[in-house]
Amino acid sequence: MLTYTLKRLAVAIPTLLLLIVVSFLLMHAAPGGPFTAERELPPQVLANLNAKYGLDDPLWKQILTYVWNVVTGFDFGPSFIYKDRTVNEIIAQGFPVTLTYGLLSFAVAVVVGVSLGIAAAVRHNSALDYAAVGVSIGAQVLPNFVMAPILVLVFTLWLGWLPGGGWQGPEYWILPVVALSTSFMASIARITRSSMLEVLTQNHIRTARAKGLPEHRVILRHALKPALLPVISYLGPAFVGMITGSVVVDIYFSTGGIGKAFVDSALNRDYAVMMGVTILMGALTIFFNLVVDLAYAWIDPKIRY
Amino acid sequence: MVSTAEQTTATDVAPKKGRSLWADARRRFLRNKAAMLGLAILVFVALFAVFGGLLAQWSNEELDYNVMGQAAQLGGPSLENGHYFGTDDLGRDLFARTVQGTQISLAVGVIGALIACVVGTVYGATAGYLGGRIDSVMMRLVDIFMAVPYMFVLILLLVMYGRSITILFIGVGLISWMEMARIVRGQTLSLKGRDFVEAAQATGVSTPVIIARHIVPNLLGVIAVYATLLVPLMILTESFISFLGLGVQEPMTSLGALISEGAGTIAYGTTWQLGFPLLFFVLTLFGFFFVGDGLRDALDPKDR
Amino acid sequence: MRQTFKLAASALALSIAFQAHAATVPEGTALAEDQTYTFWLLDAIKSMDPQINTDVEGSDVLRNLFEGLYNEDGDGQLVPGVATDHKVSEDGLTYTFTLRDDAKWSNGEPVTAKDFVYAWRRLADPATASEYAWYMELMQVENAPEVIAGEMPPDRLGITAVDDHTLEVRITTPLPYFPQMLVHGSTFPVLQSVVEENGDDWTDAGTLVGNGAYTLTEHTLGERVVMEKNDTYWDSDNTVLTRIVALTINDVNQGLTRYLASELDRVDIPAGQYPRLKEEYPEQAVSTPYNCSYIYMMNVGEKGPEALKDVRVRKALSYAIDRDIVVDRILQGGQRAAYNWTHWAVAGFERPDIEYAGWSQEERLTKARELLEEAGYGPDNPLNLNLQYNTSDDHKKIAIAASQMLKGIGVNLTLDNYEWKVHTDRMQNQEFDLARYAWCGDYNEASTYLDLFTSYSGHNNGEFFNDEYDQVMRDSKTAEDPLPFYQEAELILADQMPIIPIYHYANVDMIAEDIRGLPQNNVNNTWYGKDMYRVAE
Repeated sequence: MLTYTLKRLAVAIPTLLLLIVVSFLLMHAAPGGPFTAERELPPQVLANLNAKYGLDDPLWKQILTYVWNVVTGFDFGPSFIYKDRTVNEIIAQGFPVTLTYGLLSFAVAVVVGVSLGIAAAVRHNSALDYAAVGVSIGAQVLPNFVMAPILVLVFTLWLGWLPGGGWQGPEYWILPVVALSTSFMASIARITRSSMLEVLTQNHIRTARAKGLPEHRVILRHALKPALLPVISYLGPAFVGMITGSVVVDIYFSTGGIGKAFVDSALNRDYAVMMGVTILMGALTIFFNLVVDLAYAWIDPKIRY
Repeated sequence: MVSTAEQTTATDVAPKKGRSLWADARRRFLRNKAAMLGLAILVFVALFAVFGGLLAQWSNEELDYNVMGQAAQLGGPSLENGHYFGTDDLGRDLFARTVQGTQISLAVGVIGALIACVVGTVYGATAGYLGGRIDSVMMRLVDIFMAVPYMFVLILLLVMYGRSITILFIGVGLISWMEMARIVRGQTLSLKGRDFVEAAQATGVSTPVIIARHIVPNLLGVIAVYATLLVPLMILTESFISFLGLGVQEPMTSLGALISEGAGTIAYGTTWQLGFPLLFFVLTLFGFFFVGDGLRDALDPKDR
Repeated sequence: MRQTFKLAASALALSIAFQAHAATVPEGTALAEDQTYTFWLLDAIKSMDPQINTDVEGSDVLRNLFEGLYNEDGDGQLVPGVATDHKVSEDGLTYTFTLRDDAKWSNGEPVTAKDFVYAWRRLADPATASEYAWYMELMQVENAPEVIAGEMPPDRLGITAVDDHTLEVRITTPLPYFPQMLVHGSTFPVLQSVVEENGDDWTDAGTLVGNGAYTLTEHTLGERVVMEKNDTYWDSDNTVLTRIVALTINDVNQGLTRYLASELDRVDIPAGQYPRLKEEYPEQAVSTPYNCSYIYMMNVGEKGPEALKDVRVRKALSYAIDRDIVVDRILQGGQRAAYNWTHWAVAGFERPDIEYAGWSQEERLTKARELLEEAGYGPDNPLNLNLQYNTSDDHKKIAIAASQMLKGIGVNLTLDNYEWKVHTDRMQNQEFDLARYAWCGDYNEASTYLDLFTSYSGHNNGEFFNDEYDQVMRDSKTAEDPLPFYQEAELILADQMPIIPIYHYANVDMIAEDIRGLPQNNVNNTWYGKDMYRVAE
């Protein structure tokens, strides 16, 4: 297990390097630099800007310098557009926000989704089952950029219960979490339901029931763990989906998170912020996939490394 | 462990025997009510996309100056002025635009899924068949690609090089081929040891031919299931890209673009601008999900 | 404006209707308990450094954190800021400003002439690498071009602190509107010690030292900016608002929803929504002229398409666009159809008689078809052009409408949407046929528009080079009354049609009913928190 973990981590390094190089080249080949201003800048000013951000070095040197700074000092350099700030500052401000609503959404999606799925499976073909399936199918295909404005309209404007955006305290977390978690919750509910139904027909469950164990113990003790395997393999894609969803959340709820920072940086050619966020997201994805795989192994003893 | 998905899907869908499997599968599929409903929906959506234009009274880009500027009051669905689904803010016919949006969204979904399948199948089958060191290097590469935040890369491409429908098709397709590659590889590994493959090897058939003639045809079931389930994901991805304003360009449109426009103005009394495109969007996704699930169940005898 | 000019030209001591301007609360007004004003920002503030900022939104914040030589009142008239008045030399080239002696930085230090000298040099100094360095050139400050180009040290810039409270500025051409230009954020003073001590971090909340009526207490990028009343400000006794909050909301529709939920006191109204809101909330929906014009720039230069080199084609395109549809059916917010370049509300400007402005749209269309045919285009030889616009719902709508309008005269317009940076980059490289463009006046005078189409302007991306036009604009600089020259320039534009004017902007806002003191009649919409207050409901 430990060797496996280390091996996986070793893959992370070339992955991140590849990511850096590819995004670096993509950005530099594109038209419109970070200092494309409405009025063309005097050559001297442009030269100074380029010098300040190291853009006057040959490309290979820029990449090396960048990687060196990241590796040795965890320094992603200054933002090209938000000139008062460094990339580290921008990430330090936005990432905790994204992490907060991301983790909450994840927790809500898993807990509610799994519970709903189990309930539907246990009461197979009941009204509850049909309702759960119906709701989750609907929620799964409703894009979060449709849901977000509706949530604000209903809970902020009509009911006046919750703030429509910003990031000042727990009451500001609710709408973003609902908007982000719903479709994943729905998927998890569906996956849990069908795998639970499958597990419940298996022999060891029949045996357990035959022994006269109460139904809830059968479900929780014997059926839940195997039923969760497909859910766990869904968590990887769900995580990637949530990163994407954070862009929508940031745009609609003005949370000041990292998703919007990325889109802005791409639009504004803020190379430094873009690289910083991309690397961060890449690293998170790698880390998360590893966690998912380990969790999978923990639940499914058949898997050996 | 290389993949998580392969453990579940791969063993689930492995075709067990020759022809009768397909007949069995067809019977099971036809008996599956949800799948048949999904199929009916898809047929309807496809007919709408192909022939809907014939019913439209307006083209998708004409401005109806009688409605323009008063969409909330005059632009609602109406048989009288020929705007069955109402109009957008500029007075363009939403029926015609929904037809076109459906065409584009279906195209993005299907072509994207095809690209993912072709690339994934070739890659996965090659890795699985060749095995050994080549296999492990190829699959490590997939691991590396998996960690790339693709949506970000796609956004980058579209921002940097302008919005092009080609980049969109390819980009959306390339996001998803890795998972496909893993599944196909897993299947290939199990096929490799079978008699007919060994027989082909013994008679000196070349590797590419074995892969094309003997491996891939036996993977079609898996590929079909996966492709069907991939299409709605592609359509969802496209809708997100459209939400960011990076999707297809005016005067063309997609369901995602129509929905994001309609959702933005939901408070202004023009709910049909969201409602109709969203209806077709949801129908399309349902259709593919149901059919995909049905196919999986049909090809996998042990499942319920 | 023209009065100002005459005074300056005759080298009199200039004292502009100088009333100290602050929140003038009429007797007997009941003030609200909570004097907080919350306004909307579309995007995060990129920089709070006066010499680095380039955005209008950034300027709105800067005007509350810093104070320049002069401010504007609700009608766009100059009122004293740090300077109480100034004198102009006989030749109109030397301005001597008297600074008030009670102006203080928020750390208690006095504001002196040296702070302005430092800030202006800093703006021009290539080491600062300010994207707005050219503003010093625009102001014609002596040696500005050389300093910006790095050919002279910054201390050669034509600005000197005679003593702590006397500032002298030397310019190279008499500029009647020079004092107006001093309202701009890039001319605001900064405190050298703070800037140098803290480097790029000097604008962080808590570190930033300003001389404005408010201090920065919070700046969460992309979420909010909070400013609190500054007690060291010289006029703080008359400052009523105690707290100004700016919320970033990236979606304009979302902004309106949150305004209606009372989370904001001011928000822009999205295109097309003004009539409805005006009906529902007559007291809150407001439309005032705004100093910007919207055009389609045509590429008439070397790299432009052959067809656009033909003035008949350019005119045909311009005539075929129905501006009334754009303003009345798409924007619907009190914008005005444009047939010329300078915004109609600019001080001292009167539009000359432009022929096609008076025609009916049918007449224009007939004329357009004739011209196009004369130029050799028609159904057999259709004209294909590209129109590029930067990402925005409004630009998209107008472009779609324009393409349909041009279709009516047999011109196929392909729409290309680019991000702002790419759009700008393509324009600067003349890689376009038609491009959406808008210009917002840096100050309230017609030259800020008209200078743009001189061959020596930095913005003339369509490469309309016309000697006559250049000459007219040069002559206007030294004329007693520049208006006839400006009108002449406009006529040349209408005759040569290098641009298709579309509309003149309006500020279309929802403003909470209990807010007072926002400018009613200021085309640049320069507002100051210190002039505002909130009445009890």
